[in-house]
Amino acid sequence: MAIEIVMPKLGWTMEEGILDEWIKQDGDEVQPGDIIFVVESDKALQEIEAFDGGILRISPEAPPVGSTVKIGELLAYLVAPGETPPFELAGADLAAQTLPSAAPEVSEAAPAAMAAKPVRRARDGGPAISPRAKRVALELGVNWASLSGSGSSGRIIERDIRAAAQVVSPAGDLDINISPVARRVAQEAGIAPADLAARFPGARITRADVEQLVAQRGAEAAPERQKLSQIRRLTRDRMVESARATAPVTLTTEADASELHQMRRHLRADGADIVPSYSDLLAKAVAAALAEHPALKASIEGDELVLHSAIHIGVAVDTERGLLVPVIRQADRLSLLQLSAISADLVKRARAGKTSAEELQGGTFTITNLGMYDIDAFTPIINLPQCAILGVGRIVPRQVVLDAEAQRLAIRQMMPLSLTFDHRVVDGAPAARFLQRVKQYVETPYLWLVN
Amino acid sequence: MREITFTEAAREALTEQMAVDPGIFVVGEGIGERGGNFNTTLGLYEKYGPMRLRDTPIVERGFVGLCAGAAMTGARPVVDFMFIDFILDSMGELLNQISKIQYMSSGRIKMPIVLRGCIGIGGAAATHHSGSYYPLFVHIPGFRVALPSNPYDAKGLLNTALTGDDPVLFLEHKLLLNRRGRVPEEDYKLPYGQAAVVREGSAATVVALAVMVPKVLQVCDELANDGLDIEVIDPRTLAPLDMATILESVRKTGRLLIADETFGPCGIGAEISAQVMEQGFDDLDAPIARLNGAHTPTPYSPTLENAVIPDQAAITKAIRDLVAE
Repeated sequence: MAIEIVMPKLGWTMEEGILDEWIKQDGDEVQPGDIIFVVESDKALQEIEAFDGGILRISPEAPPVGSTVKIGELLAYLVAPGETPPFELAGADLAAQTLPSAAPEVSEAAPAAMAAKPVRRARDGGPAISPRAKRVALELGVNWASLSGSGSSGRIIERDIRAAAQVVSPAGDLDINISPVARRVAQEAGIAPADLAARFPGARITRADVEQLVAQRGAEAAPERQKLSQIRRLTRDRMVESARATAPVTLTTEADASELHQMRRHLRADGADIVPSYSDLLAKAVAAALAEHPALKASIEGDELVLHSAIHIGVAVDTERGLLVPVIRQADRLSLLQLSAISADLVKRARAGKTSAEELQGGTFTITNLGMYDIDAFTPIINLPQCAILGVGRIVPRQVVLDAEAQRLAIRQMMPLSLTFDHRVVDGAPAARFLQRVKQYVETPYLWLVN
Repeated sequence: MREITFTEAAREALTEQMAVDPGIFVVGEGIGERGGNFNTTLGLYEKYGPMRLRDTPIVERGFVGLCAGAAMTGARPVVDFMFIDFILDSMGELLNQISKIQYMSSGRIKMPIVLRGCIGIGGAAATHHSGSYYPLFVHIPGFRVALPSNPYDAKGLLNTALTGDDPVLFLEHKLLLNRRGRVPEEDYKLPYGQAAVVREGSAATVVALAVMVPKVLQVCDELANDGLDIEVIDPRTLAPLDMATILESVRKTGRLLIADETFGPCGIGAEISAQVMEQGFDDLDAPIARLNGAHTPTPYSPTLENAVIPDQAAITKAIRDLVAE
């Protein structure tokens, strides 16, 4: 009996994954525990191992490598040696296998009514569009690449174009007196109808007018279009959701990080194997502060406040594939050196695309550090469902007043801190007290180092 | 205005044109004293006598060939095939002689012959008496094909056929014969190649043929209650075919269904669809749809017969699907 291999669900929020690579090929023998293929999901590459043994058979109809596949969609079969995979059986046999033998007869109309029509795609993979809609799109200067069809087939039809034209160019734009070919040329050159109207008020705009305008603007290359990567799409969705759903407030302060600076200097001078980074030190300081201010790691679900017991700190990592936030679990219970080792390993693997989906989930607070780019204060976006995120700025030596009366100045290593919190979850004063405590812990690390 | 049946309207045209033109005569089986199986010549035998209403033996190729000769020498034969299925026995004369003679003689020889018969499925007439065949004749250059859907068109189109120079297939759907409609008493002619927009609308265009015209109109009245405004076109003649009216309508609605009781493959729907693709592609907002009878010999059993023709439910679904596409 053939065993189905499907796209696995690798995290609660995962809906689809990219089939990244087949480690085993069609016809290969597979032992339980062998890695069969690699999936890119929720920012992570994950190797999928076999639970069963057999001969791997990949249908020619199976999703190709690199394609995005829905969870549960069939990828291949494991069959016994000599067994024919279902896709090589005749159609009738397949139907007999998949339908229960005692299936009642159904009327001819029923299956057609029940079967969902697939959304039509054009040959180039773009959205399918009716000829009429295409003509109207050219007339109205509507770019249909990002539209979707409203009909039962999913094909873009005339009303979709007209609706888009009204959104893109509110009343008036459509009244421009312009020849269809001029409108098309303008669209191809990326000139907005509004620009044309401003340039040629009242007159009927011809192709020559548009071409003249195009010549004036110079031979600007058309923008290059790229498909969004899985990570970019996920980041897009999460950032928009955060901007939409949260009530963010950003508090900024400046902490004197001279003690941290000294600590790192001494450790390096002593030839220590591991010198904790500022991010590691911040993670420990934040973990200590969070233990005292649990509201800052709470989240809201509907009408409930969810108080998380764990202190799992996400650390934003810039990678070639995009922003990843691996999570340091139980940061409060780790020693500084343990945390540094775990953090270094996570960052390294995140940059190599080797973190698992699990390692990217479950954080209760996030730290993002832009200090290495000479950034001081900024307004980070909350990483939902978390309550808050701490932005770390660059550490620079500054002249500070130590004692105003004695007119005593000193040069100290100053570090700006930007805390964005969700005002739905927590109020300004408690958030400020939390940030004040973090500042204290930065300035006086002995308070948490002895714990 | 008075209302008369389809058969009465067509018979009125024949009666009047026979009075005007002594060259018109009718041949066929049972069209003399009997008045025709479908009453096409009822009362004409008494009026015009046995010379002009000639009953024939069952030998279609013979009497069609004879009529071709008569037409070439100046007479105006009307061949009444009763069931149009019987025309198949005279195909050699029709396709190889009657359709070609004007061309071969550079127009010196005319071919004013009317070939009439009843088409369509209905009344458990079984498969030898249920054919329509008009796509065959539309395919051949040289024929005119009339497909009236109501008494007014029947009289006007037959008047034109009886006064023209070309061979005309005049096809009467069995289920339309007793339908009544307003018909003027005076003589009038309807041009060939001019479709009728029998219902105006904007949501979709339905081109309906013969008996499908009243069926589609009834469905459209019901759909109008749901706010669906369907345009219905009756081409009235298939050769020549008025594509301009169809294209204009598709330009307006963007959607087209061809509803035809006959078989789909290589049919009128295929032809209209291809021409719209060629000339009106950029007006289409959805793929063109066809609704046809099942591609099978017509069953005798009334239950099965009903199953092979597009009924109201099928028409409703086809239109709804087209509008939703």
